Amino acid sequence: MRNLAKILTITAISLAVMGQAATADTLEKIKSAGVIRIAIDLSVPPWAFKDENLNPTGSEVETANLLASDLGVKMEIIGTNSANRIPFLMSHRADAVISALSITDERKKLIAFSLPYSGATSYVAAPKSMQIKTFADLSGKRIAVTRGTTNDADVTAAAPRDAEIVRFEDEATTMTAVVSNQLDLVAQVPTLVDLINKKNPAKNLELKLPLRTAPMGVGMRKEDTDLKEWVDGWVKKNVANGKFQAIFRKFQGAELPNEVIAASQ
Amino acid sequence: MIYNFDFGAVLAYWPLLLEGVWTTLRLTLFSTVFGILVGAFCAVVRTGGPAWARWIVSLYVEFIRNTPLLVQSYFLIFGIASMGIRLPILLGAVIALTVNIGAYTTEIVRAGIESIHRGQLEAATCLGLSSTQTYLHVIIRPALERVYPALSSQYVLLMLASSIVSSVGVEELFGISNRIQSETYRNFEIFVVLGVIYLLLAVLVRSGFALLGLAIFPRRRTLGTPL
Repeated sequence: MRNLAKILTITAISLAVMGQAATADTLEKIKSAGVIRIAIDLSVPPWAFKDENLNPTGSEVETANLLASDLGVKMEIIGTNSANRIPFLMSHRADAVISALSITDERKKLIAFSLPYSGATSYVAAPKSMQIKTFADLSGKRIAVTRGTTNDADVTAAAPRDAEIVRFEDEATTMTAVVSNQLDLVAQVPTLVDLINKKNPAKNLELKLPLRTAPMGVGMRKEDTDLKEWVDGWVKKNVANGKFQAIFRKFQGAELPNEVIAASQ
Repeated sequence: MIYNFDFGAVLAYWPLLLEGVWTTLRLTLFSTVFGILVGAFCAVVRTGGPAWARWIVSLYVEFIRNTPLLVQSYFLIFGIASMGIRLPILLGAVIALTVNIGAYTTEIVRAGIESIHRGQLEAATCLGLSSTQTYLHVIIRPALERVYPALSSQYVLLMLASSIVSSVGVEELFGISNRIQSETYRNFEIFVVLGVIYLLLAVLVRSGFALLGLAIFPRRRTLGTPL
């Protein structure tokens, strides 16, 4: 019994010590380690995916590389999925998240966001032949979403009660569900809807109902104020010199939304 | 940074958790019933059927036992859908779990059947039992009774493995928990709660099997000893 108490005390102390080490100056630590660990979900083309040679690429990977090279360190990708992006950050597995992470009030309670560097408007997409004008028309329909995304939250809130929201673990599975004909409707950004149409032209999906334009920021832990300050300056610089616009154009085939540029000037 | 536990944030979602428990239990119940039927049938075929049927059953058993359940679920939910047959997701999940557990059950029940002594069969013949009667009373029931502990732990495993089908869009306990986690970001608490719920469910499934055992094996009820 006394042994047990001793073990518990030692565990508690070492946890406290580890905890303190974690609040040290993160920016300095990254620089001295010479590497920044960035959590990216690599299942979301064109944001982040693996090319034919299995090399990570996409707008998020390029943004992460730009950040690392401007900081003068190496970039290490910490692969994650959509639902684990924030938990990976909170559990110190990654220093920052650059993974199409939309800035939301719920998330702001837990983590800090940089100024937006990217963004996207999501839509409920459905086959062209389907008559969908308002959210009420979703009644009785099955809609694919990725669990834990803003699309999930928006569709769950807006769709009538008898619409069935089918949630998948990551974007790749959501896309598979639609491409394979398991489901017809999906809440997604236009680039991914295009991709579904390319993989299965018979689907003929059309953007039906806009959800929201979500600005995306770099996610960081709240206590890492030094890192956030540096990243905010870095975002402003790269919006001003047009590098973010170029990355967005290259991978998304569209212009960076004006809301994003206005917020980061 | 000392982690502040906030179980309230997670427990506020209890109606959702309950819904998840219900789905998990339904998945387990249906795949248990059909799994035992499939398993018992295949075991009988594998021990006493014609050569071609034995060959088909062993192909099924080996194929299922040597591929991951996740791959089997993807095949049933997405693979078949791309061929134009759209199963409702819950039904697809029940079929995937049944096909999976059926293969394991086959092997367990086969072991039970092979443990029946030849003398028992000869006694049945002497008593003039028909072959159906022999199968039901002399082979299947004692065989099931003998492997019953192994069977019940396999079905507890099935209940735990049903969490895998959350990745093909089934909103069972694990899927619901992932959703709660993505809304609250309290992943530490949710997995503690989830662990406790799965533990209780496992106790429930185990006790269910123990009671069922008493009901279907009168010998065990009266003598109280394992066969």
